[in-house]
Amino acid sequence: MAAASSSSSSRELQKELEAKANDLSKIQKDISKNHQVRKKYTIQLGENELVLKELDLLNEDANVYKLIGPVLVKQDLAEANANVRKRIEYISAELKRLDSTLQDLEEKLNSKKEAILKLQQRIQAGKAKA
Amino acid sequence: MASRATIIPELEKMSVEQLKSIKEQSDMEVNLLQDSLNNIRTATNRLDLASIALRDLSLRPQGKKMLVPLTASLYVPGTLDDAEKVLVDVGTGYFIEKTMEEGKNYCERKINLLKSNYDQLLEVTSKKKHIADEAGIVLQAKMKQLASAS
Repeated sequence: MAAASSSSSSRELQKELEAKANDLSKIQKDISKNHQVRKKYTIQLGENELVLKELDLLNEDANVYKLIGPVLVKQDLAEANANVRKRIEYISAELKRLDSTLQDLEEKLNSKKEAILKLQQRIQAGKAKA
Repeated sequence: MASRATIIPELEKMSVEQLKSIKEQSDMEVNLLQDSLNNIRTATNRLDLASIALRDLSLRPQGKKMLVPLTASLYVPGTLDDAEKVLVDVGTGYFIEKTMEEGKNYCERKINLLKSNYDQLLEVTSKKKHIADEAGIVLQAKMKQLASAS
């Protein structure tokens, strides 16, 4: 009797282990997605900062055009400056948000790993007794 | 350099498993870095071509007959208008009208920026490659040890 109940409880533990392992891989996928989005935003941020530098070098009367779809539209230098700055602010805020999300995900990853480790130890202990 | 020489004793302390994973990771990183290096080289070449085109354009007189590309295979005859003003693509959809001189200046600046980035990246890549190679060597030595022991 004792053997049967311990094997069924070990099966339960195994199922729990599987579930936790699935959670772990999901968290890891989320982390890698986070990295991808982060890379995209970092590239955009760099590009926008280059544009801002170029705009800063211009005289007041220089002509700036923006490509909107297939149309090249003349833009006011001040407006272009403001737009690029706003975009840079937005991207920086998004990056900060992604950073904090990443931290949360990494904490969850570590706690899941610990939980899995404990589970594995319990399973080992169970096997040793039986 | 001291930093390179001290890697080897660190690597020797590790197990075969750790060495394998370090080598794989370093190899992946080196590949990524090589890709970036190639990208920078391509971009620098394109900028060089743009710079050459600008220099050529500045030599042409106004009113010169030319063929204007409408698509990759369709050209129409036209005449060169003012070659003193050029439109520069600065990124994120913004184009800036500059004089020929400023345009050439822009190309020069960008090329220099890319060259310095390339040099920095090259340094990092060669350091990583060194680590990867060392890990490979130590790994092979360890595996030979294990093979001869067993």
